[in-house]
This record gives sequence, structure tokens and C-alpha cells, in this order.
Amino acid sequence: MAKARAIIKRLKAVKNIRKITRTMELIATARFKKAMERATEAAAYTKKISEIVADLSNTDLQIDHPLLKSRDNEKNVVLLVITSNRGLCGGYNSGLLRLAQKQLLKTSESDQNVDLEVSGKRGIGFLKFTGRTPSREFLQFEDKPQFDEVEEIANRYIESYTTGTIDRLEVVFTQFESASRQSAVVETLLPIGDLSRGDSSKNKTQHEEEESTTNVDYEFLPSAAEILEELVPASFKARLFKCFLDAAVSEQIARMVAMKGATENAQDMIGDLSQKYNRARQTQITSELSEIIGGAAALE
Amino acid sequence: MSTTEATTNIGHVTQIIGSTFDAEFSEDNLPEIYNALKIEADIKDIKVKLTGEVQQHLGGGRVRCVALGSTDGMVRGMEVHDTGASLSVPVGKGTLGRVFNLLGEPIDGRGEVPHEERWPIHREPPKLADLSSKSELFETGIKVVDLLTPFVRGGKAGLFGGAGLGKTVILTELIARIASAHGGYSVFAGVGERTREGNDLWLEMQETKIGQTERSVIEQTCMVFGQMNEPPGARLRVALSALTMAEWFRDTTGTDTLLFVDNIFRFSQAGSEVSALLGRMPSAVGYQPTLGTELGELQERITSTNKGAITSVQAVYVPADDPTDPAPATAFSHLDAFIYLERKISEKGIYPAIDPLASNSRILDPNIVGERHYAVARRVQQTLQRYRELQDIIAILGVDELSEEDKQIVHRARRIERFLSQPFLVAEVFTGKEGKITSMEDTIRSFEEICDGKWDHLPEAAFMYIGAVDEAEEQARKIEAAAS
Repeated sequence: MAKARAIIKRLKAVKNIRKITRTMELIATARFKKAMERATEAAAYTKKISEIVADLSNTDLQIDHPLLKSRDNEKNVVLLVITSNRGLCGGYNSGLLRLAQKQLLKTSESDQNVDLEVSGKRGIGFLKFTGRTPSREFLQFEDKPQFDEVEEIANRYIESYTTGTIDRLEVVFTQFESASRQSAVVETLLPIGDLSRGDSSKNKTQHEEEESTTNVDYEFLPSAAEILEELVPASFKARLFKCFLDAAVSEQIARMVAMKGATENAQDMIGDLSQKYNRARQTQITSELSEIIGGAAALE
Repeated sequence: MSTTEATTNIGHVTQIIGSTFDAEFSEDNLPEIYNALKIEADIKDIKVKLTGEVQQHLGGGRVRCVALGSTDGMVRGMEVHDTGASLSVPVGKGTLGRVFNLLGEPIDGRGEVPHEERWPIHREPPKLADLSSKSELFETGIKVVDLLTPFVRGGKAGLFGGAGLGKTVILTELIARIASAHGGYSVFAGVGERTREGNDLWLEMQETKIGQTERSVIEQTCMVFGQMNEPPGARLRVALSALTMAEWFRDTTGTDTLLFVDNIFRFSQAGSEVSALLGRMPSAVGYQPTLGTELGELQERITSTNKGAITSVQAVYVPADDPTDPAPATAFSHLDAFIYLERKISEKGIYPAIDPLASNSRILDPNIVGERHYAVARRVQQTLQRYRELQDIIAILGVDELSEEDKQIVHRARRIERFLSQPFLVAEVFTGKEGKITSMEDTIRSFEEICDGKWDHLPEAAFMYIGAVDEAEEQARKIEAAAS
């Protein structure tokens, strides 16, 4: 009986796990829809901004802004890694962290000072395990990153970049390409290299089309420089915000997929265990019966 | 055996039930329990020659006996001669190099066995005061055995395992390793296993040389067989015959003696086959109610005394892979070192398929093996235990969901698991891999380094079938070269 009972215990545990994973899957699906809406809405804004910036750059104006200038001697690099606060999302975090580590190795090889900033408990835990301490940790970003919160971080970056304490900002996050495709990428947000580069190539082609059709002559008020002063930081903030939004959507998708797989695995295991249990139970009954019959026969 | 004595007490067969029979004697001359009875007759050209052993007094002058041979051709009314003593076997140096059946008759076709003495197979176990209390490590050169289930010199080790997991292979390997390095005498008892295996072993022993000398192992060994084709009575007593010969070496020559038994479970099984015929009521799972007593009487004799030591290795079959079955469970309590072979491990292709968590040894104790050995063994077990606990989680959620510490444990556990395999000397012919003997120092160091993470960079396959861990590097290179 010991064996059958042990199997029952495991069976119960697996059934509980299945309940959890199924619920997680449903929650992730709901959250994914919301996060996706936010991301697409934000995408419209970023798209517009990059259009304006692109148009601006199209004019013959001399564009000059501290955030646009790349420095020859890049000494201090900030690496922002956006991971999730919660687990149970399959390979989402491990893929990101693998990329982050590669990037870390690369920058430290080229003799640069890396300042590590991490968002999400998972990433913090991992980096602590590998013996690196992030200089800044963010825990406030869940499935709905707020613009105010991102802006705060963005402002700090802008300030340190203009004052020269950092020379480059790289973000490791999961890019949301479509509902079935997300990939971990490293993106350089500072210096803003190519102004016209929006959030994806799709925008670029769109903008090229527009460019060929509409070549508007702008009139700047009060002046181009002042507009630039406003527009460049705004564009940077929008991009950073987009990274967080992408990460949030990707996390939910990863969780959805992982939990679906887990539920299926648990289902398989329940099948296996039930079969094992039935067999163990039957064996036990058979052996007890044969013992009783054998005993009775021996007594006759 | 004096024939005059035998003729003085004659009885007649009154009943034959399978491999047991009843005989009637006069009430005054009732043979004692365990006395050997002989039947020799020639009826209608069928020669019947049989020895029986008295098991019970039924009253009314009748005794119930277990036949130690086939009861074919027996009829009621046959004459039964009481030998007046229990069965005895020849003992002494003359038995070395020879093969016997349970009656002490040579079966290797080399004629009579010179002997001065015969000892009865039923003997008292040594007195408590005579027992040796030494606890000394016995090195085998097999990594997993030395690390996790160190053998005791003068102790008993059991190899538990279901069908086809390699009990006999490990036992043969141990003979090749221990007996060839061992100066003393060895006794092999083949109890209810395949005759072919006995034959293989006999040939193998003739080829294996002792250390650097020209003498083969067989010259220091005596073998006793009662294999699975023989009636239960034979399988029930053959272990005792072999043990008696081993006892002579221990008590008379004072050397360290090795006793190999393959397979002690067949002894219990034979007991259960005749138990119902003797009129005992079956106990749990159909075994004889006297299972514990029978095994205890045998096991208590396999022990080391002040005069000499018997180091014994016994294979124990585990029916239906269920270690809670009464027969293996009873055998378990008698042993110093306990090796459990696991089907899941053999399915992974890892041999010896020793379960590192279920196996244990009495002397895996910091006072005997030393602090370092103990600490390493426990670390290895902890790692593997944690891996086993995590396996369900990995199966459902995937390895990515584990914490970093757990991922590292899994990583190392998978390497340790593979490193527990080892190429065997006796399997060289089959695997094409040279057998590896790993010294205790190498074993401990290797496992320590794997636990410390020194070899984390090598692929898992590099740890399969190697000796010390240093060979993993070379194997990794070979794998890489083969892949590219």
C-alpha cells in the first residue's frame, strides 16, 4: 500500500500544480491583451514622434543636440536590463540574461566601465548569483509600466549623459515583434544615433513612402533649435517607454506559452501517475487475495 | 559415513509430496531433526539415489523430510537409511580449485577430493564473545562503491536488484577485483542461478591470475553449486555447504576468506517452495513463516571471529523491483554494506546501475572512513537528492523556472550521475573499454572537484565510463573531435 499511497500523494501535488498553471495561463492571457493595447497605443505616439523627427532631419537644418552626439572615447557605459519581477514565464528571463551576460562580457573586454541597472527581481537575483551587484534596481515595473515612472529614469539618464558621467546607454529587453514572435535584443538608446529610426523598420518604409509623396516645407516657430530641444528628449523618453512596454507584453506572452506547456505536461503526468496508481492498487489486491486463498488452502 | 551405522536404523517411505517425503521409523530409533537420510534403490531399472534431511517429527514414528535431490521414481515402502548425523561436506585445502554440489560431491569430473575431515553443514554460529569487532575499509576500486557504500573487511555486503540489472556482473567483477588482489581463500556459492553463469565463472577464474603470480584464482577458490534446475531442497542447503567450507578456512587457517553468494534470495525462495509442503501456513506474500529464522541461521554464521575473517558479498534478487518484499527486506538487516541497483539508472545506460541514494554502508562514518570521505559522500548524496526532488518540477515547468542555485545543482548532479558509471574489467570483452580501477584517493578527489564545480565546463557525456575525473577532459576532446 505504501507505494500506492505515495503515488496518490504525488498525483495530488501534480493536480494542484496543474490548477495553478492553468489559472496563470488565463491571467496571462487577460493581461497580455491589455498590455498589447497599451503597446500599440504607445506605438502610434512613438511613430508620430519619429515621423516628425525624421521630417526635421530631412530639412537642411544643422541638427545639433548633446543627446545626438556620440563620443569617441566611450568610457562609461550603462547597461539597463529589463527582466520580469515574477517567474513562471519559461525561457523569458534566462534568454534575456544570457544576452545581457554576453553584452557585459563584450563591454568589459573592450575596457569600458559598465554600470549595471536592472529592473525586475529575476534579473537582480541572477546577477547577484553570478557575483555582480547592480548599481540600481527597479522593482516597480509590472505588466503596466507608467510613463511617469519611466520618465523619471529617462530624465536621470539625460542629465548624466549631458553632464558626461555616462557615455552610452544600452538596454537589454525583449522586443515585441508580433504575438508569436519576441526576441531578446540589445539596443543603444544613447547617443540617439539615427533620429529617423523609429521603433521598427516598418515605420521607416512608411515614412519613406510619405517622404516620396509629401515633401512638406516646415516653418519653425519659435525656432528649429527650440523645437529640437523639446523633441529629442521626448523621442528618447518615448523610446525608453516603448522598451518597457514591449518587455511587459513579451513577458505576458512568454508566461502564457510557458503555462500552456506546463499545464499540458502536468496533464500528461497525471495520466501516467493515474495509470501507475491503478496498477499498484490492482497488484496489491491481487497479492492480498492470493495470500488469503493460499492461507486458507494451507489450513485445509 | 559408516555404513554399519546406517544399516542399523532403517525406515520406510510412507508418503511423497513433491520434493518432500515422509518416512516411518521405529519409535525408539527416530532420526533426529536435520539428520541426513539416504535412499538407494533400483526399481525396474530406475536407479534412485537420494539424500533427504529430516525437518519435522510427525508423531507415530514418522518423520517428514526435504529431499535434497529429485524425488522422481520414488515409491512408498522404499527403504530409508538413517545416517545418524546431519549432512556433511569435505573441508580442507583439498577442496581448493574444485567444484562441488551441495552434498560435497565433486562435479567437475576431476575424481575424488582428498580430504581428512568432513564437517556437518548445520553448525552453531560463533559465540558473541568470539566475534571480531574490527571495522576496516575494504577497497574495491569501483568509484561508487568505495565512495558511497564502502565495504567492510570481514563484513557482509549485499547487492540488491531486480531482474537483469547486473547483479551477477557486479559480483563477477568483484571476484575479479578482490580475489585477484587477495591472498587468502575464496568460496563461491551458486544458489539457484543459471548453470551457464556458473560455468562462465569457473572458466573466468581459471584465466584470472592472482596478482603478479602465475597461479590462477581458481587454485585458491572452491565452488559449490546448486543451480536453478535442481530441486528446492538442494537450493535450500547449498549455501550452508559452501559456508561450511568457508568456515573451515576461517577457523583452521586463520586467513581472510571471501565468500561470494549468488543468489541469497533463491535460498529464501527454495524455503518457501518446500514450506507449504511441510505443512506450514504461508505468511506475508506467500513466504514461509520461518523466513526470518532460516535466513538468520545462515547469515549469523557468515561472520568474522577472532580466528579469522569471512568477507562476504551476496547478490539478492528483488522480486518485481519491490524492495519491501519480505525476502530482500529480511536479508537487508543482516548486511554491513547495502547496494541497491535501480532500473531507472540502468535504463539510462549507466552501469553499474547502483542507486546512490538507496545504497548505504555501516562504515560510512567519519570515525572510520575519515571526515573528508564522509563529507564528500554526503555532498554527492545531497546534490543527487535535490536533483531527484526537482525532477517533477523540471518535468512540468521546465529547467528555466529553477532558481540559479538549483540550476547549478541540476547541472552538477547530471555530471555526478554519469560519473558514477565505470568500465568493468569483466565487461572489457563486451564494451571494448578497458576496465578502470580507481584508487580511493582519486575517487574522493574526483567527486570533491565535481561538487566544487571545477569540471562544470565539460559536457555531460565526457563523464561517462571513465576512471578518475581527469580523464573527462581527454574524453571531452575526443567527443569534440568526433563531432567536428
